[in-house]
Amino acid sequence: MSNLETILSRDAYILSIEVRLFWLVALLYGICLILYLIHLTTKKTGAGRLATNMLWVAVITHAGLILLRTFEGQRAPFQTLYESLSWFAWSASITYLYVERKWKDIFLPGILVTSLAVGASLYALLTRSPAVEPLSPPLQSYWFEWHVILAFLSYAVFVVSCSIEIVYLAINSSVKKGLRLEYGLNRGNLETFHRTSFRLALFGFPLLTFGIFSGAAWANEAWGRYWGWDPKETWSLITWTVFAIYLHSMSIQKWKELPASLFNILGFICMLMTFIGVNWLARLLGIPSLHLYAM
Amino acid sequence: MTIFRKIKSINWPGIRENKLYRNLASLKTSCILLCILACFYIIGTIFPQGAQFNDYIKSGGGFITFVIFFDLLNIFNTPAFLIIALVLFINLAICTFERFLTLWSRSKAAAADWQFTPSYTFPLDIKHELKSAEESVKEIFKKELRFKEKACQTYGIYTMEKGWSYRWLTWIYHIAILFCFLGFLMTYLFSFEDEIALYPGEVTVIKPTAASRWNKSWGNKSQPLGFKLELAEFITEYNQLPKLEYPADKLSRLAFAMGWKDPKYTLKEESYFPKDWKSRLKVIKGKRTVLEKTIEVNDPLSYQDITFYQAAYKQNLKIQIDDNPILFETETGKELIIPGVDGMLKFDTMMTGTLFKKEGGIEKIRPFTEVTLVKKEGSGKTEAENIGKLEQDGAIYIDNKRISIKEFKEASILSYRYDPGVPLLWWSGVVVLLAMSLRVFGAWYRITYRIEEKDGASYLLLKVNTKGLIADHERLIKKVKHALISAAEPIDHDTPV
Repeated sequence: MSNLETILSRDAYILSIEVRLFWLVALLYGICLILYLIHLTTKKTGAGRLATNMLWVAVITHAGLILLRTFEGQRAPFQTLYESLSWFAWSASITYLYVERKWKDIFLPGILVTSLAVGASLYALLTRSPAVEPLSPPLQSYWFEWHVILAFLSYAVFVVSCSIEIVYLAINSSVKKGLRLEYGLNRGNLETFHRTSFRLALFGFPLLTFGIFSGAAWANEAWGRYWGWDPKETWSLITWTVFAIYLHSMSIQKWKELPASLFNILGFICMLMTFIGVNWLARLLGIPSLHLYAM
Repeated sequence: MTIFRKIKSINWPGIRENKLYRNLASLKTSCILLCILACFYIIGTIFPQGAQFNDYIKSGGGFITFVIFFDLLNIFNTPAFLIIALVLFINLAICTFERFLTLWSRSKAAAADWQFTPSYTFPLDIKHELKSAEESVKEIFKKELRFKEKACQTYGIYTMEKGWSYRWLTWIYHIAILFCFLGFLMTYLFSFEDEIALYPGEVTVIKPTAASRWNKSWGNKSQPLGFKLELAEFITEYNQLPKLEYPADKLSRLAFAMGWKDPKYTLKEESYFPKDWKSRLKVIKGKRTVLEKTIEVNDPLSYQDITFYQAAYKQNLKIQIDDNPILFETETGKELIIPGVDGMLKFDTMMTGTLFKKEGGIEKIRPFTEVTLVKKEGSGKTEAENIGKLEQDGAIYIDNKRISIKEFKEASILSYRYDPGVPLLWWSGVVVLLAMSLRVFGAWYRITYRIEEKDGASYLLLKVNTKGLIADHERLIKKVKHALISAAEPIDHDTPV
């Protein structure tokens, strides 16, 4: 066997391990989702606790998978959509676990987080190519890494923020009446729980700002234009604008309650649009995009 | 200071009572304007911006009446969008100014009119005289907890703060956003960009064909730049790219997951993936080379406010048919009609330069191109047939005709741009990020306290306000408790009111 053949079969072997590990992680996320749904329907705390423990296992395994991919590609693992979907699932799950550890027996936001983790993992596994490819010349920039890391950190934070917001909207009137207390929320902790959503959005907003700024700096260095009204750029600006409205509306007395909550959820939808939806939109409408490499 | 005095001497109450001014100073207006702008942005992602109207119709674009009426293919340059952006700028400027007046007066008047509703009560050592207890508590907050005194009120209520003032930080990044707007405006008015093709060894005078909006509106013509550019060398580098044999259908992918199949990498001889394009440039002024730099994507060259970027390359071929002295000129990627050949010939990118091999070696590429024969059928469909690899010193045969490359020239295409808005935008962007990060992630504490004597005992009545994600209210209370225990030996634990 020649040296080249040895290298190619080694790469294929590592890739086969990596892809199977990713399937395992997707399966674990799926089990977590089922357990969270059991908690939702049966109101049993044990199912929620088990789901969270299982999610820790999934996140740790996924961290190993990301490290393996980094080793495999010899670069930060978020160049292609396959990689960034994996990174998104992991970062949203770990952010949720970090936030959840401060609560006592509140598991409902886990449903949305694990749904997204399962969805992102399966979308990557079933529709994208897992091939490890070298970086094309425009991506060989230190701004690129900052841009992606910060943008995805903000996405992860917004996912958890939105999950809490949805749970709050769904349950707050019942909890205030003393109902559905089995989900761990009561009159004493409800507002603190809801405030976590605002604090997370507040945390994510500078990260998103930095993500957009670093993207603009990168575009300026690579193409000489910091802004080109590319669909992905524009959707990131829409997301930023909606979250800016959300944060400001928290200072307006009349908008503080439901309108602010709706802006938070709308911001999350815009974020999904920036990440995934815009690719579909650009293809559907035939709009050229500089971000097509990530599709 | 005199500027502030002058600003203060204007009849602000009169202006500030104006309904329009009040609306423009409102946060609600900001939110509404941002909502309207978001709608413009969404429209801008639905209709291809900058597209030609005819191309839009050809590609099956709809809503033609709306597209024409609202200029939807150029929505970010329409008066409606620009006016909304301007109103947002004015709104932001007024809000920031109002905020400044509030902050300025607050910093002078301190917290004199703040309501004091304590959240914590700490018993103090009863041996203290009231005044000395006040002094010692102040010392504790100042020296041990590093608070700064902000105000001493008439009723013995003290206010102290620690950390960067979140109000000023918020104000600073809003001001910086205003400067960002000015940066955008400068880009909008004064920037221009153009492209130039440079062939190795040629010295080129750069005369922009494009002009900035400002110059266009005043009818100013663009002038040649005061220097010339020479391409000393154009370098192309490729990686070998193995192809992954992996199924596209979902069931087969599941089979991979189960281990029934394994992925496989194969490497074809011509599987090249661009690694880098570099241009070694010389800036020539008069007859002297004043600057020399090798540029690549993400590493441009800046000289006299103009920045040159590695954009692309252009390849020209002169094709010889048999031994005919008349040569056919073409560019790679374009179709060429050759008499006697059924169809058109298309030459792919000429691979030249260096190849970085998968197993680690580096090799000089023997220049070659892939040749395709394109035939157009009666129904309008095109059929492409791969003829094979044509090396620069080789030949291929089509319809018994010998086709060879007689001459090959490669140009580096550079885009260049003048944008005076970038430095302003860059610095104000950095300020936005710094101030916003300090405001959001930092910690700011305000304590308001009073010493009260009741039934012969002294108590510290304390109120705590925090801002910033790392500000820890409970930790501060613990620290206060610990500091009071070690300094004044209080007799009991704190009791929330």
